[in-house]
Amino acid sequence: MEEKKIDEKESLELISQMIQSTKEYMEIGSGNHFIYWGYFTAALSIVIYSVFQFTEWKSCGLLWLLMFVFWIFMEILNHRKHPAVMTYINKVIDHVWYAMGSMFVVTFAVILFISFIYGRYNSLDLMMPLSAIYVGIGVSITGIIIQNKWIAYLPFVGIGLGLYMLTALYLNILPTIYWHLMFGLSFIIMMAIPGHILKRKEKKAC
Amino acid sequence: MLRELDPLLHSQLRLAVVSILMSLDEADFVYLRNKTESTAGNLSVQLDKLSAAGYVSTKRVIEGKKTRTLCRMTSKGKKAFEDYVEALKVYLNVKK
Repeated sequence: MEEKKIDEKESLELISQMIQSTKEYMEIGSGNHFIYWGYFTAALSIVIYSVFQFTEWKSCGLLWLLMFVFWIFMEILNHRKHPAVMTYINKVIDHVWYAMGSMFVVTFAVILFISFIYGRYNSLDLMMPLSAIYVGIGVSITGIIIQNKWIAYLPFVGIGLGLYMLTALYLNILPTIYWHLMFGLSFIIMMAIPGHILKRKEKKAC
Repeated sequence: MLRELDPLLHSQLRLAVVSILMSLDEADFVYLRNKTESTAGNLSVQLDKLSAAGYVSTKRVIEGKKTRTLCRMTSKGKKAFEDYVEALKVYLNVKK
């Protein structure tokens, strides 16, 4: 293509051709992120379960704080590589995850603060169900935005698990070590599988 | 009376660039070059013209040892494109 005058009909054809050529990017989200988060969380849940089985360390749940380390690592990776194209859809999805991430940090800070004031750190147990609910909502909104039913509905597994845990805690049912495994499994279902669905779409489009 | 088509947009490469940027929030120089199948030199000149008119904003970012140019439409550019399409519709209706 070069710098040349065109007539009105050619102009209209060119506009529609160019808009069509960008369409392939409209439906593609960042499948890799979902996959990394899904598998990392699942792997960490197995590590925590194993640590408890071998050492009987009761505060092994503190190892979930490694999620923050992974988050920082992912953020550094993201900022190193700017995408060639930013669609409006991707921008909206970015904002959704920014909001979810902020909620996660605020929730953790508030729970930690209250735990510190009352000297009872078992309230940190709330982080697991709330994380499952937040992440589930985030993935589900992503699915709604990109109009993919699987991605929109699979997170209900995580949301359901989160609600079950919250109810159990309210009923004074003590969390067991299996909660960690269930939490990890829910991330496979609500993040890793949607991630693979996105990747497959991406491959088809390219 | 027919409105005059914006001469800045009524050119093949510039119109292609603007059409792409209208459907995206942001795109980098290499992506635009690939999509328009233009040369780097020519694309650069046309981007400068669009930028000078305030239709497109460009931003340079450094990634490792490489510099990348990111382009996006300004609100003035979006308005100009919408006016251009409206004028185009009028032209095509008259010619029918």
